[in-house]
Amino acid sequence: MSDAGSRGKRVVIADDDDDIRGLMTIAANRAGVDIVAAVDNGRAALDAVRSGDVDLAVLDISMPGLNGIEVAEAIRADEQTKGTLILMVSASVQLLTTHGVVADRSDSFIVKPFSPRVLSTRIREMLDLEAPA
Amino acid sequence: MTIDRWLSRIPIDSPSAFMKQVPTIVGFAFAAAIAAVPNGVPITDGAEFVAGIVLVVIASVLSFAVPWRRLNPEWVVVVPTLSLLAVGLLRLATGSSASPFVVLTLLPFVWIASEEGRINILIASLGTFIVLLAPLLVDGGARSAGDVVRAFFSPVIYLIVAVVINEIAHRMRIQLQKAHEAAQQQETLLAQAVAAQDELVLNEARLKTANRLIQSIWNAVTEQSVIGTDLDGLIDVWNPGAEKMLGLTEKQVVDGKHHVIDFHLPEEIDQRLQAMDARFTTVSSIESFSALVDTVRAGSADVRDWTYVRPDGKRVAVQVAATPRLDENGHRVGFIFVATDMTQAREFARLKDEFVGLISHELRTPLSSILGYLELMRDDEESPLSDEQLQYLGVAERNAHRLLRLVGDLLFTAQVESGRFPLDITDVELGGVVSASVESATPVAANAGVTLVRDVPEKPLVVRGDTLRLGQAVDNLVSNALKFTPSGGTVTVSLRAEGDHAVIAVADTGIGIPAVELSQLSQRFFRASTATRNAVPGVGLGLTITKAIVTAHGGRLDIASEEGVGTSISIVLPVETPQPVTEAIPRVEVAP
Repeated sequence: MSDAGSRGKRVVIADDDDDIRGLMTIAANRAGVDIVAAVDNGRAALDAVRSGDVDLAVLDISMPGLNGIEVAEAIRADEQTKGTLILMVSASVQLLTTHGVVADRSDSFIVKPFSPRVLSTRIREMLDLEAPA
Repeated sequence: MTIDRWLSRIPIDSPSAFMKQVPTIVGFAFAAAIAAVPNGVPITDGAEFVAGIVLVVIASVLSFAVPWRRLNPEWVVVVPTLSLLAVGLLRLATGSSASPFVVLTLLPFVWIASEEGRINILIASLGTFIVLLAPLLVDGGARSAGDVVRAFFSPVIYLIVAVVINEIAHRMRIQLQKAHEAAQQQETLLAQAVAAQDELVLNEARLKTANRLIQSIWNAVTEQSVIGTDLDGLIDVWNPGAEKMLGLTEKQVVDGKHHVIDFHLPEEIDQRLQAMDARFTTVSSIESFSALVDTVRAGSADVRDWTYVRPDGKRVAVQVAATPRLDENGHRVGFIFVATDMTQAREFARLKDEFVGLISHELRTPLSSILGYLELMRDDEESPLSDEQLQYLGVAERNAHRLLRLVGDLLFTAQVESGRFPLDITDVELGGVVSASVESATPVAANAGVTLVRDVPEKPLVVRGDTLRLGQAVDNLVSNALKFTPSGGTVTVSLRAEGDHAVIAVADTGIGIPAVELSQLSQRFFRASTATRNAVPGVGLGLTITKAIVTAHGGRLDIASEEGVGTSISIVLPVETPQPVTEAIPRVEVAP
């Protein structure tokens, strides 16, 4: 990791699809971050973000319980967690576009299907990490 | 047959010659009967008596047998003249001057005198003169001075009577003629009146039928509200559909107080007035009714979405077609508003959107896994794949991408249909768009053995538009051209400026499209017969999407094709700022 000496970047991943979540985890690992939690619902994602010092939350929009947008709103509303970066992911272009709120409530978003390579790069860019050697 | 009925059969104005002869026949029969009585009237000369009878019989036969009306009718006086001579003979045979039968003279005399023409006065008088004078001539002298006086005095009186009769008959004929004409005229007028009456009855029946038809149609329109107003918007027409839609009866609304604007959502009216003010500074916003009829006043029909508000506060989403109401001279006297309830249609559109969104999500999620894990396999540096494995992987990736494109196309088509067509408008350098399309299609062209030619001018050609969408449009055309061009053929992608337009043309030397199918090309899921015959893959969405993109940019698609020769499709775009169809959406990051 580039910022040796400081702690590793902490990331929470949330997607209700096991395979996609697995893909996100691999991409995040390749970006060289610490994965605090990889969960399948919004409530667990919010709990994970609140439980520790999390730098980035990668959130799928369509999730059971709390959806990605609601989780993002809760993170932003909480003084303790509002500094956490949010990367929103969705398979529905419509959801990303028609809600409009996505742009305001996230720092970046990405449409499924995504390339693990691109997701990895995006995570590094957001967290100011350099590419692994 | 009674006498009256028999007499009624005799024409008064023009009895036949025989009918006129009948009195003479009766008179002679009576005279003959009297002469036959023994010791009655003495017959002094039997031969003359018989001659008189024979002569009157001849006259009677002539009156009956000769078709006088068809011959010259004036000659009919022959009959009474012969009768007159017969009276003369009868008189000679029965005592000359003393004969009681001289009175029979009157019968043929009156007939002759009453015939038309002054000559008949002469004939009647002369005949009578001969009859009266004959005894003197035959007997060889007057028996007394009284005989001579009578013989000459009577004919003079007869002459006067003949003149009077002739004149009266003449005048009566004129009157009769006039009466005839008047009767004929009356008959004609009556016939005309009857015809006019019949026509009136017929027209009334037609009018009633038409009225019944209109009334039936009027009553049958229960799913659309039809509201008619005067020029100021005061309601004077309210159909059963309006009753059903807005919950008020015709009687309640058509009272000279209800205004059509009362049933509209005020916010929508204000919004429209603001939009009008923005466009036309002359429009006064104080007149709310203008919001509804501004376009109609300008001379064209107006179809627009509005929200009606019922008296109970319930809102009804409607599409209203506003048209002018004209009088018989074509002058505008009001407006007609035909509204269709769109509640169900809009709900259906919403459900369709939801469905499309769901399908899109459900298809993209597994595709995300497939493509993502394939990429991981390809990128695995620890255990690299063999060339053969890489080739298999390529096939899987290509097909997964194909499926992804199809999902994208379906989603995009649904967006076009629902009217939510997002465009991200920026300056677009078309040369770059064309080059990118050609570059990405080059490997496919090489595989297919087709020469791909790029013909782009050096000078940049810039339009306002959505780079991604325009790229998608050109990609579609190039992809189509390559699919429909056999190995050895050529596909040329050119860009040129034509006046105020930029033209991107994609021309191939492929299988072409039959002329009759050209107009259907941009219909959804339509595939040319040449495409299906040659088993060219595809679902028939590409041109639909391309046309939608080009239309949204204010441009058009020109298609020319000849079966077996090739096809040329041109995107013609205005080199000016197009109005985006809908508001631009936030840029979306799309994975490569």
